[in-house]
Amino acid sequence: MTDTVRLAVNGSDVELRVEPRETLADALRRTQGTRSVRLGCEHGACGACTVRLDGRTVRSCLVFAIQAEGAQVETAEGLAAHDACFQRLQESFACGNAFQCGFCATGMLMTASELLAEEPRPDADSVRERLAGNLCRCTGYESIVAGVLRAVDGATDPATDPATGEVTER
Amino acid sequence: MSVRRDHASIAPQRDSVGETAAMVNLPAALSGAAHYVNDIEPPGTLFVAMLRSPHAHALVRGIDVAAARALPGVHAVLTGAEVLDRAGPHPVYWQLTGQRTPQTRAMAVDRVRYHGQVVAAVAAESRALAEDALELIAVDYEPLPVVATVAEALAPGAPLLVPEWPDNVFGEQVYGTGDTDRAFADAAYVVEEEFDFGRSFGAPLETRGCVVEYEPVAGRFEVWINSQSPNRVREVVSEVVGVPQARVRVRIPAVGGGFGTKANYYGEEILACLLARSTGRPVKYVEDRDESFVASSHARQQHLKVALAADADGRIVGLRGDVVGTLGGELSSVGMGPVWLAAVSLPGAYRIENIRVRARGVMTNRSPYGSYRGWGAPKAVFAIERTVDRLARTMGLDPQELRRRNLVTPEEMPYANGILARLDSGDYRECLSRVEALTVDAGWPDTIREARSAGRRVGMGYACFVESTGIGPSRVMTAIGVEQAGFDEAVARMDAGGQVTVYTGQAELGQGILTTIAQTVAHELGLPPERVEVVSGDTDRCPYTGYGTAGSRGAAVGCEAARLAGVELRDQVLGLAADRLEADPAELVMDEHGVGVRGVPGRRLTHAEIGRAAYRDLTLAGDGFSGTLQGRAVYDPTAMTYSYGAAAALVEVDAETGEVRLLDGAMVDDCGVVINPDVVEGQLVGGSVQALAGALFEELVYDADARLTNPDFHGYRLPRTTDFPPLRLGHMETPSPASGSGVKGVGEAGTLPWAPALCAAVDDALADTGVFVTEVPLRPERLLEAIDGSGVATS
Repeated sequence: MTDTVRLAVNGSDVELRVEPRETLADALRRTQGTRSVRLGCEHGACGACTVRLDGRTVRSCLVFAIQAEGAQVETAEGLAAHDACFQRLQESFACGNAFQCGFCATGMLMTASELLAEEPRPDADSVRERLAGNLCRCTGYESIVAGVLRAVDGATDPATDPATGEVTER
Repeated sequence: MSVRRDHASIAPQRDSVGETAAMVNLPAALSGAAHYVNDIEPPGTLFVAMLRSPHAHALVRGIDVAAARALPGVHAVLTGAEVLDRAGPHPVYWQLTGQRTPQTRAMAVDRVRYHGQVVAAVAAESRALAEDALELIAVDYEPLPVVATVAEALAPGAPLLVPEWPDNVFGEQVYGTGDTDRAFADAAYVVEEEFDFGRSFGAPLETRGCVVEYEPVAGRFEVWINSQSPNRVREVVSEVVGVPQARVRVRIPAVGGGFGTKANYYGEEILACLLARSTGRPVKYVEDRDESFVASSHARQQHLKVALAADADGRIVGLRGDVVGTLGGELSSVGMGPVWLAAVSLPGAYRIENIRVRARGVMTNRSPYGSYRGWGAPKAVFAIERTVDRLARTMGLDPQELRRRNLVTPEEMPYANGILARLDSGDYRECLSRVEALTVDAGWPDTIREARSAGRRVGMGYACFVESTGIGPSRVMTAIGVEQAGFDEAVARMDAGGQVTVYTGQAELGQGILTTIAQTVAHELGLPPERVEVVSGDTDRCPYTGYGTAGSRGAAVGCEAARLAGVELRDQVLGLAADRLEADPAELVMDEHGVGVRGVPGRRLTHAEIGRAAYRDLTLAGDGFSGTLQGRAVYDPTAMTYSYGAAAALVEVDAETGEVRLLDGAMVDDCGVVINPDVVEGQLVGGSVQALAGALFEELVYDADARLTNPDFHGYRLPRTTDFPPLRLGHMETPSPASGSGVKGVGEAGTLPWAPALCAAVDDALADTGVFVTEVPLRPERLLEAIDGSGVATS
């Protein structure tokens, strides 16, 4: 028993054949090869499978694929390709020991990028509060919080192009 | 220390990110580029699901898999009877003296001894379909009386979990030195306490998994597995499945955290091999999160009774310790090792002449007990440090003063404690003083004073630790009873293009071992670290590392083997260059541009020219040169190394709710020579937060029927961003004389001091009640009970 779901994944319209019981996380991994969507618990507790669904972060293991009919889904693959804020967070995570095994990292980046979109200059407490639903077993979190804050600082870095927010050189 | 400066001057690879090139080389984990085991899916892959026992103890009288086999899309259903037929017993490689080992298989055959033990495995076209098939399997269980706790296991007339055994004890080990009876009889002070350390586990965010392909013509298994010990997995598959080691290739993809959980080997990878062979299709098994709670090694749970005897001046003269581990229904691959280590680690950093310790491992109907970062040490540190606090309280002495009087001093080192440990180097008292200085700098005394005058219950406490690192001298391993050597082999090659590649048996789990290996070898070759490639995680390509990446040995043993291979490669390169440049090797310098004669600018070779001479045009090399540039080294440490440290916790206790909150924490550690400060800090902070969560809320809770009651991340609480403040870290650096590089090892240090420091701080916050905390995790209800028991009104 399969259904057809039409949705956009990272800007491309796709038509998926899915079982009604298949989660969005599983369907994305199976049909779209979006490996950034990682399964750490499959019951919404760890945040490693976080994606954007119509602009809001969701845990894709808690959404059935058929519920995404007509939706715009964005994963870390998509944001890494075009979202300057997401890219800035990636770079910031890369240079500050903000991840170890990295399994949680894409989910962290998804949540952090949503935070920065809503609140461009959060303080450490806001970052901690927002990331409280994303579990990391390696770092002890301090370097992750610092990684997000560094991406905020990057917005005013002299090496940053004020027009685009992109880092031109360091 | 000059070595440290040299290493530190080599920027770690990750620190170079931020330059333009970093955009191209963004770490794979930060996008969809990384391949974890669940991202590996050869064409035609079948998906495996395991049927797990709902009973903690039962006979399996029959199993009907006909309906499951008939389900379209199901390719195979494997039961215990077939495993018995197609595979050998599952080995336990920690075979301590005095340890009985029940024979077990990769899945239950006719009896289950823990909730969650595998009784059947299905391979099907999808995971969901495989799980559908599980529901069609009918197992005829005959439930047996359950042994849920150590008390039940040791009670007279307890059900015998292995009917052929006289009792439910796996075994015991006793170690001693001096005359403990006399020391205790003559002592001015004697204290004795009993402690409980709760059951928890590593819980890496990525569960265990493997993908296995079988090539029938060659008879070869290709295994992808997120293991910390690829060579062990290869050997075990070979032994159990009955195929030559040369026909088993084990590869490690990106690994989503290990923490010892993935250092053990398990039955599931054997079942995957059997299913791959019988179906002729690649098979993938990835543990569900709820399965991981019963199927990945449990750890930590021990009961420890510790007594200390001291003379009138507060010199500790005697230690008695009795450690009982709540092991599971079968032994994990490390046997009762973590219980043994807790017992022999009890003397810690102290000078104690009369010691007697006993370790016992008791079988219960719980999940198997294996490795988790810190192994036996966190329990030992907890028990000894708490007992020292108790002794100080009894004597009316400041606990830190009591510690200072008994910590082994640098002048006494190397200090053999009489029961295995030989403390190699360091200044334990200075370390404690530095932690005290951190707390003063941070204003803790004022904070406490102000908080208390405002009616808040705030307190601070300390703990010291020493840990054996750098497992391990191979002959010591054998003497202990470990059927696995502890050396590392490494290979360093310069290829025909002049590029250097290091091959290691170490596994990258996110801790940064590949970066530190690159730094270490690059340092020997005069190269920036990004010019050294490191290849790991492939038993066909990489050298042998039996024990793998565990026991705080990656830097101490793995890096040192790589360094020695790099030195050998350097000597070969210099030899070739000396011939070519007609110079004495001693006159040559090796740097990022190649090899040159010191002080003669024109006389030099680039790496590319050296590579060409060694591989493609041997007329450019000396007459005796026979081709290739490859250093190979085996490093077997001559002794264990001993890292150490101390920590302090500042806590607030809510006496109404029993809630404990860490307000601040400080730790100073010494892990010998530091190769990469960022990596060390990452290990310390990560391990510390695991330990803090373990001391406050992580606990696997069993019910009276020995069923795990909280097998998910809602019921088993991992630490979150909002739980703990940033920790204050200080660092000392004393090279170990026992290792060539002076490196000791740091992977587990963070897990050690926090439980006792936190409990001491809680005692301090509740000083008027006389509470003395003896159990972790420090759940609010337990603390309230202790406060109520004190009879002091706290509101």
